Amino acid sequence: MMNSLRRVMQAEVPTLAIDLIEVEENSSSMADEVISHRLGLIPLNSVDLESVLYSRDCDCEQYCENCSVKLTLHVKCTSEENMNVYARDLIVDPNRPNQTVGVPVITDPEGNGCLIAKLNRGQEINLACIAKKGIAKEHAKWMATTAIGFEYDPHNNLRHTDLWYEKNAKAEWYVSHNAKYEEPVAEGTPFDYDAPPKRIYMRVESTGQIPPDQIVQEGIKVMQQKLAGLIHSLIDDDQGGDANTGYNGPQSPEYGGGDGGSAWGGGAPGDGFTTPYNTGGNQSSWGGAGAGGGTTPYGTTPYGSSGQSGWQ
Amino acid sequence: MAHFTNPRHFNLQEPAFELFLLQDGEKKITEEIFTGMSNTSDFTMLKEDHTLGNLIAEHLKAAPHVMMAGYKIAHPNVPEVLLRVQTDGTITPREAVVEACKQLVAAYGQLGREFQKEFAFRQIADQGEQANAMGLNGHH
Repeated sequence: MMNSLRRVMQAEVPTLAIDLIEVEENSSSMADEVISHRLGLIPLNSVDLESVLYSRDCDCEQYCENCSVKLTLHVKCTSEENMNVYARDLIVDPNRPNQTVGVPVITDPEGNGCLIAKLNRGQEINLACIAKKGIAKEHAKWMATTAIGFEYDPHNNLRHTDLWYEKNAKAEWYVSHNAKYEEPVAEGTPFDYDAPPKRIYMRVESTGQIPPDQIVQEGIKVMQQKLAGLIHSLIDDDQGGDANTGYNGPQSPEYGGGDGGSAWGGGAPGDGFTTPYNTGGNQSSWGGAGAGGGTTPYGTTPYGSSGQSGWQ
Repeated sequence: MAHFTNPRHFNLQEPAFELFLLQDGEKKITEEIFTGMSNTSDFTMLKEDHTLGNLIAEHLKAAPHVMMAGYKIAHPNVPEVLLRVQTDGTITPREAVVEACKQLVAAYGQLGREFQKEFAFRQIADQGEQANAMGLNGHH
């Protein structure tokens, strides 16, 4: 479950990135394509992306103010010295879905942002960019995360990995920074080969377009939409769906893509059905053995082989 | 018939969004009863990958009344997941899959809420610590 979340956060959390460029003038030493590629990779603020449509879902011909943000870049080097063109030189068109979206992310102390190109005297770049919403499955420029650290069992108590060693594995291997949250198993304890991992550590690093905590929430939402899509699809086969399923929400191609108001929005407490997992406190569904009461075998691990007992 | 095109490799020529967008008339998930085993169905999920395949298959393996669950992605270039589920007959494979999905949605919902809560607590705690540190400096 957490691995799916990781995959989704990396590949399917939507962001905004420059997708179309019209080059008016480019006398720099870099080819149009190279500059275009560099522009595409510039992180643009994507915090409030709900109000931005995917261009393919939009009513407009190619792109419009509801599904894109226009940025222009017009720079010319007039001085003797070489001139640097930075992301801060991009001018965001005020006609855009909302007032935060599409602004280049600038985090360096000088306030420059990414370096786009260097110009010699007399060289000029003049172009217009169209930034669109997309996901990293289509192109990596839409990735919201730079890296996600993912780990469980930092002391290798469950022996899911076999640590290579010259003389002594303990002395030769670094302990991860997550190790302080867990105790290494005491020497001589009988080994429970069937113990499930109970804690999973994730470290989410953002590109700056969306803060990491929001990426997690967005990832969860995307996962829920995916699963909801499946449920819809399966229940629709059952002729109109049972009234008591409660899954008869609005059926757009993208569930909950609107204002997050669908039943799957993921925020509201009480999702309309109960699950044996919810009783387990803050543990994941795989975590607490028997959290859902004696009848459920959900406490068994996907890694072990003893699941049989629970399957009656 | 095209002579050389291998349908398995259609993605090499197609645009990237073919990986995740359903074409007109395509259905997200279709069920086909597998006659080789009792109470068994094969589900084909289009435009999906290991994210859903692994998640659902692993979840089903731990579910009551499910005898067997497994998934495969026949070719890495083809965004289709085949999920085979066998139940003990008290519920249909389809019911098992729907139930698994519902539980996962709920579990993710809970995860989101817990995360939001914990994150807010953490932020407040951090602010408190900062305020404390500043207060100490002020009293120097």
